Amino acid sequence: MLFWLILFFPLLGAFLNGLVLRKVSPTVSHILGTSALIAAFVCALLTYLQFLAGGGQAQVITGMEWIEAGTFKAPFNFILDRLSGLMLLIITGIGSLIHIYAGGYMHEEKATYRFFSYLNLFVFMMLLLVLGDNLLVMFIGWEGVGLCSYLLIGYWYEDDKNAAAGMKAFLVNRIGDIGFLLGIFLTFKYFHTVSFSELKQMILSAGAQLNGEQIEAIGWITLALFVGACGKSAQMPLYVWLPDAMAGPTPVSALIHAATMVTAGIYMMTRLNFLFYLAPTTQMIVASVGAVTALFAATIALVQYDIKKVLAYSTVSQLGYMVLGCGVGAYSAGVFHLFTHACFKALLFLGAGSVIVAMHHKQDMREMGGLRKYMPVTHLVMLIGVLAIIGFPGLSGFFSKDEILWRAWTGGDQYHIQWGLGALAAVCTSFYMVRLLMLTFYGKNRSDHHTQEHLHETSVVMWGPLVVLAILSAAVGYLNVPHIIHIPGLTNLLFEHYLDPVISIPPQVAEHWHHLHAEYPQSLEWAIMAVSVAGMAISSLLAISMYSNGFGRIANSLGSAFKGAHRVLTNKYYVDEFYDSYIVTPLRDMSQFLWKVVDVLIIDGIVNGVGQAFMLIGGLSSFRMSGSLHRHGMVMVVGIICMLTVLFF
Amino acid sequence: MDFLNSHILSITTFLPLLTALAVLLSPSLGTARWVSLGGALVTFLASLHIWFYFDSQTPGLQFTEIHDWIPTFGIRYIMGVDGLNLLLIVLTTFLTPLILLSVWNIDDKKQKAFLALFMTLECGMLGSLVAFDLVFFYVFWEAMLIPMYFIIGIWGGKNRVYATTKFIIYTFFGSLLMLAAMIVLYVLHFQQSGVYTTNLLDLYGTTAPYNTQLWLFAAFALAFAIKVPMFPFHTWLPDAHTEAPTSGSVILAGVLLKLGTYGLLRFAIPLFPQATATFAPLIVALGVIGIIYGALNAWMQKDAKKMVAYSSVSHLGFVVIGSIAVVSGGAALSAEALTGAVYQQINHGISTGSLFFLVGVIYDRRHTRLLADFGGLAKVMPWFAIMLIVATLSSVGLPGTGGFVGEFLILLGTFMSNPLAGATAALGVLLGAVYMLTLCRKILFGPLDNEENKKLKDLTPREFAYLTPLAVLAVVMGVFPNLFLDKVKPSIENLANNFRNYRIVAEAPIATPYLLGEEHKEMGR
Repeated sequence: MLFWLILFFPLLGAFLNGLVLRKVSPTVSHILGTSALIAAFVCALLTYLQFLAGGGQAQVITGMEWIEAGTFKAPFNFILDRLSGLMLLIITGIGSLIHIYAGGYMHEEKATYRFFSYLNLFVFMMLLLVLGDNLLVMFIGWEGVGLCSYLLIGYWYEDDKNAAAGMKAFLVNRIGDIGFLLGIFLTFKYFHTVSFSELKQMILSAGAQLNGEQIEAIGWITLALFVGACGKSAQMPLYVWLPDAMAGPTPVSALIHAATMVTAGIYMMTRLNFLFYLAPTTQMIVASVGAVTALFAATIALVQYDIKKVLAYSTVSQLGYMVLGCGVGAYSAGVFHLFTHACFKALLFLGAGSVIVAMHHKQDMREMGGLRKYMPVTHLVMLIGVLAIIGFPGLSGFFSKDEILWRAWTGGDQYHIQWGLGALAAVCTSFYMVRLLMLTFYGKNRSDHHTQEHLHETSVVMWGPLVVLAILSAAVGYLNVPHIIHIPGLTNLLFEHYLDPVISIPPQVAEHWHHLHAEYPQSLEWAIMAVSVAGMAISSLLAISMYSNGFGRIANSLGSAFKGAHRVLTNKYYVDEFYDSYIVTPLRDMSQFLWKVVDVLIIDGIVNGVGQAFMLIGGLSSFRMSGSLHRHGMVMVVGIICMLTVLFF
Repeated sequence: MDFLNSHILSITTFLPLLTALAVLLSPSLGTARWVSLGGALVTFLASLHIWFYFDSQTPGLQFTEIHDWIPTFGIRYIMGVDGLNLLLIVLTTFLTPLILLSVWNIDDKKQKAFLALFMTLECGMLGSLVAFDLVFFYVFWEAMLIPMYFIIGIWGGKNRVYATTKFIIYTFFGSLLMLAAMIVLYVLHFQQSGVYTTNLLDLYGTTAPYNTQLWLFAAFALAFAIKVPMFPFHTWLPDAHTEAPTSGSVILAGVLLKLGTYGLLRFAIPLFPQATATFAPLIVALGVIGIIYGALNAWMQKDAKKMVAYSSVSHLGFVVIGSIAVVSGGAALSAEALTGAVYQQINHGISTGSLFFLVGVIYDRRHTRLLADFGGLAKVMPWFAIMLIVATLSSVGLPGTGGFVGEFLILLGTFMSNPLAGATAALGVLLGAVYMLTLCRKILFGPLDNEENKKLKDLTPREFAYLTPLAVLAVVMGVFPNLFLDKVKPSIENLANNFRNYRIVAEAPIATPYLLGEEHKEMGR
């Protein structure tokens, strides 16, 4: 019962705000939307506690039948286990905080019923995504969150740019979704089920002898599903929609485009880890795509001026780490980073949102600076967020990111390059995040007089959630402290063992993974960690020295020394331009040709020509484009008689 | 009740024709409107009777009516309903009253004639759907064309005469080929059994020689391909839709086109199974081309209605490939794909029906359908925006709408049958979103900078009345597909598994409503 309420409340909120209470004041929409989510959070928490008290065994909750045809079956079944339970809490918990904050952020809007309706609907879809016990229910959520993302990116639809960004997000995601669909088809074709629990049982049960065809199919299934993950989790080459998605209101960026939706790919791969373990080639691809994306996006973030764009590329980069984690088989490390990232990236986005509100919706960091003075609370929480993401020892990012890098190094010799890319990306991360902090909060204020006069700290509705997120960002890392660090009173690697029941290495490859997990010398782990920390420290110091007072001499001279590189980075490697000239434009030209030439001239020309020929055979005047209906009616009847004659005699 | 059950199909079919007569005899247009709406609603109720009393446990033919018509030639009056036509019958009777509501405000002196023609059209469509005798079917099939011809030709746009002439000659040409094939089949059956009959149930047992089958199948398939319309026989459709009035487009896309895909399932495939297996790759190829080609063409259109028209070419491509997904080395059709095809026919009727209605709504207000003339309407017409987005989502097959269930099953089954075709067709899912979101963006979003658009009024109660049922149904069909699919499952499985040797028997009438009769269900097992 409680379980169903988790799903029910957000749906109810979306329904009431969206279709029923459209005339109410923004405050009422806000309270309604937020209470729906808090109610869902309470139910989720209680369900989760009950679940843990009951031993934490995965359970399938059976709902009604949904699609049934031939031998295909996909009911509305849900799975509650440690993985989906954790996701439940992240989605509803962080979701609630963001909903509260959004009331403050959107307070200048005249009507927010639409906003909160979409936001609630998003949460509902996200819950379906993580709770579904089969690929199809997951797919409802998968496309449903895409829909809400589309609607929310285009929330201020009167600006055509926003509408375009929403559409781009939906379409790029759909490319990935085709991959997901093909994954479903292949799964059904070779395993005759799309249910996670049945699939898992089938793959893991000791007696199950998968035939060669099925093993090969698993390679394709995982690859196809990974294409879906690339779309949703913004990996190369499908990441291009996420930076544009920043056109949406900032709370949306925090909830959807940082904390929850974009992690769906990581969630899906973790859910199906037993399949990915059997597909070494896919894993190699996953790890490489993740590592390359992490570095690629981080380099773009180095030179952006728009505060939200920096965070957007940073998100792409951090998602790359999570994907890298999945690729090297370190699913729990990937999910752990998902968890910590949800906390600190939501914090960073919302903090940036507060800055943007204070700056009268200006997002260019060149006009900021010195905000520490005006917004002390925001400064403090942002500082914590930055320290968390750059992996400052003791904060959450340090534990989660280093875990992934450690696992990449120890995942086998073939993954050393990926580790290198990841470590390099970490260096970039420290640089661009400290740069962001410096340009925004330190130095002199560079905004115009009018803006400067109105600078002030935001209301408690906005900074309250930030404080909670800051505490989480600082603290959650201690759930997974590596073995080599002993902290009295804390269980080491609590989180990694937490996910043990979900992560199931199939017997066929168990030996390989067991071998990999064999003891490594502690000194190696210390060394890897030292490399990360040193890189972080050096690049942070560099950023501080360059940007402590706006764009200093070093920054400018570096920029002009590497003009070419700077231009390429500022223009994001021209990837959008490349897609535009080599995919979109040719497709459009081809379509134009298909319509104007193939359809109108050739096909329709033949049809009309044949029509005319028949009329001529009938000895009548030509098939005309206009004229009275009566006359043409007669022509038609005569024509039909002619055709009959031709046919039968 | 017995009388009702044994005559319900005749009642449902001919009630619209009686209504048409009553409309003509009505003293005023006001009366005629109420008469037509009343008649259409009673017809809808009659079809609901069929729906509720339909036995979902049997693949057999139900509510069968058999009477001699022209005994000398073995021509009979045979009507029946099974899982293949049940949903289409209800779709037809459901859309008709909605369309009547949409033309309620049209006030010219020819409007009475329009209403009468429209009800005649409904009779023709229902008759084609329930007829199980070749000649009987053919009469309805052709009769259906005449009202449509006039609806486009009299109430259409600037180029209406060209469009309607093209429509009728093209489809009539296909029909003639089908008629010729029917005659050959009739003779063949006589040679094999010594009995002259046009009874479809008997003709299913005729096994034509393989080479003859190829010709006969080709003739039938061509007639239906033109009707669907399948690439490359589709060019009459954009013209007809552009010129037809909104009401005509809705019924054309909603039901008329489905008679083509229905014809494939009812006639071409089970009558000529060997030829089906031979032609399947070609038809699937054309279907897949149609999906991609229709979508790319739709994307390029500047006229909203033409865009929706081309989208039909793409969507019906899905239905076609789903109808003919051969599996098990040619021994069976994919039940998944076939279910999807049957379901998608209805979804397309709902989503494209509402899209045409919605284009009509703004055309009524602005007398233009050019996308460039719009933009930012979401601001002045928020409910219109919601309706358009729901219809769009169903059209692009978003999970949670009926369109997803249909497309997914079709693609799944096609993939099982031919992975390459399935994967290529899946591109249609992306391209569908490309043009539909372009449509939404150009109409609803962006700046509201055209002075004329600033004055637009949101939906009127009457418009709500015909748009809401469609929007609700789009979601209901996506979340509760079993409400619909449970009824049709046995018929679909019978066709899918036994298309090589298809038989269908007429069941005795039953007297317990399916929904109330749990006991009956038990007994049926």
